[in-house]
Amino acid sequence: MGCEGMSATLGSSIASRNRRLSTDQWWMAALFSLLIAELLYFSIAVQGFWGGGTGMLDQSEYFLDIGIMAIGVGFVIFAGDIDLSCGAMASFVGIVMAELWKHGVEIWIAALIAVMVAALIGLIHGLIITLFRLESLLVTLASQFILGSLATAIGGGYPPYGFPGSFSSIAGTGNVGPIPAQLFIFAALGFVALLLVHRTAFGRSLVLLGHNREAARYAGVNVSWTRIRAFVLSGLFAGIAGIVIAATYNSVRDDLGDSLLLPAITAVVLGGVDIFGGRGHMAGVLLATFVLGFLYQGLLIEGISQLTANMVGGGVLVVALALKIGLEQRGGGASFSERMRLRFARGGPP
Amino acid sequence: MTTAQPPAGSIRAGAPFSRGRSAVAVRGWLSMREVQLVLVTLAIFAITTVHDSSFLSSGNISFLLADAMAVAIIAVGQTLVVLTRGIDLSVAPTMGTAALAVGFLAQNHNLTPLEGLPLAIAIGAAMGLGNGVMVALAGIPPIIATLGTLAIYSGAQGIVAHSQEVVTLPPAYFNLGNGDLVTGVPYLGLIGLAVTVMFAMMLWRTRFGRSIYAVGNNAEAARRAGINVKRVIVSCYVLCGAIAGFAGLIFLAHVGSADSTTGTDSNIQLTAIAATLIGGSTLTGGKGGVVGSYLAAIFLEVALAALVDFRINPIWEPAGVGVMILIAVLADPTTGRPSVRTVLRSLLQGHGV
Repeated sequence: MGCEGMSATLGSSIASRNRRLSTDQWWMAALFSLLIAELLYFSIAVQGFWGGGTGMLDQSEYFLDIGIMAIGVGFVIFAGDIDLSCGAMASFVGIVMAELWKHGVEIWIAALIAVMVAALIGLIHGLIITLFRLESLLVTLASQFILGSLATAIGGGYPPYGFPGSFSSIAGTGNVGPIPAQLFIFAALGFVALLLVHRTAFGRSLVLLGHNREAARYAGVNVSWTRIRAFVLSGLFAGIAGIVIAATYNSVRDDLGDSLLLPAITAVVLGGVDIFGGRGHMAGVLLATFVLGFLYQGLLIEGISQLTANMVGGGVLVVALALKIGLEQRGGGASFSERMRLRFARGGPP
Repeated sequence: MTTAQPPAGSIRAGAPFSRGRSAVAVRGWLSMREVQLVLVTLAIFAITTVHDSSFLSSGNISFLLADAMAVAIIAVGQTLVVLTRGIDLSVAPTMGTAALAVGFLAQNHNLTPLEGLPLAIAIGAAMGLGNGVMVALAGIPPIIATLGTLAIYSGAQGIVAHSQEVVTLPPAYFNLGNGDLVTGVPYLGLIGLAVTVMFAMMLWRTRFGRSIYAVGNNAEAARRAGINVKRVIVSCYVLCGAIAGFAGLIFLAHVGSADSTTGTDSNIQLTAIAATLIGGSTLTGGKGGVVGSYLAAIFLEVALAALVDFRINPIWEPAGVGVMILIAVLADPTTGRPSVRTVLRSLLQGHGV
């Protein structure tokens, strides 16, 4: 790629910056109206959905774990990678915590250790991916298998359950006044994520390298280290999600978190984060968690099976993405192949 | 034109210190993933047989071959998609839906396997078309599009199942799924081989096959060379779906039952992707082939059976698959990524990443 190519890329990136800001805001407004519309629809059409203000907040306990995991995957997707191991990671962390607790470790210490283990595994993902220049998809796919086996092996057939009341109420189903404790955890984590992505040097590096890895390298960003940190964060958040699920259900299972992977990725994409990395806003992910969560809740309360609810979720994912890509291409954004070329500009295939 | 070369088969340049032409040839052969897989599979057979002589019995060989075929056939289709730099996560419900539909008709209306064949393929092709349209025409990244359709098609499978199961099938299915042509050579193994050879020939000998490699290597160059890139990609997803549908029939015949979660419950899509990667295809497209995927599926089956034979708890099977994916990718010298030795050396010398 010559000098002209570089400056052209940079130019188009700057030119589209102004336009993109409005795309982000437009997308958030659309999400917000979608949320209102769906709340209205379910409240009117589905018996037992509307539980007053606090009842609605209480319902969020059924899906905030998805949101926590989505924030973690969000970091990785911002950088243009993907993490398929999150679901297995959450299951694994729950099992590790429960086993530590069974062997006499205080529950909060056990949770802390388990989450640290998750961050460590995230670090290992990042190291393998950057050192050997492997696709993140491939490494986290393999890791998903391995974590699943580990969880089964450690937990055995009958993993421990019945954690201390203070734990399952603070991290799980307890309330502070009318507001569920889980919502505080989610809000705190979401706030930290917002600051990390949009107010720190790390966040700027993350978004830049997701947008154009080569440009990030020329700009002095340590690409490998930034990607590794994204994977550590992904592991960390998946771990926290695992703890929250364990506390909510007051039990663990070797596949408890597995089903969260698809909704979590859906929330990230629905939130407007570009699946190729480099664009979007973390606030969209937080908002999309509620859009998706209330959609699942509404459908389940309506009496639709989990399988069909997932089907609707998958449909939302695909339609949202097709819509977004169509809009961007009409708005003069780079085409699919152009962006693939940018992403794989260095070290990629011919 | 480098893009249209058949994969793996050629001996690479280099090896300056080799002692003679035959040594070069042997090293060339040994660096082929297909040869490696056959050798490793035979080695596992040898080691396990020493431990337990019944492992080499014709009954066991026949069972292992037949048991590996659903994954092997799905992996053949998956390879076509992976060659275009795509991926298809939705093959599990595609297989499951085809198995269910054929199974219900067989159970209630005595549909024969041969009559079920076009139905299974048609269901699969239709689902594959959905994926292809989303990837090639709507421009959705394959991993996300097929993650979405994994959920959508699983729901469709649930609707087809309608809370019922396939439990009793006409005997023709059992004979097809568990019978042998001659001792140790099951029908299914041969069917899988036929499918593999057919698509290997398509990849190597036809214009369409070569255009798949071209698209995977460099879509832009392929377009400028006059290849209709979108049509090639859609065709690959349709073929992948059709083959997965066919695998549904194979699975149904072998296992003899099907329900609303057949395929997705065992995450067969991930095993098939693992077989594809272990078989030498790369996610960056344009490299690999269906023979490797077929052999890798058999290798996985034999390796996991050997683990059981050595009394290793089957809960480690998924971990075994995961580790083998990593080993297979790291052991591939042709991708231009740093080898384990290079990485370790640079780490020890403190040069960092």
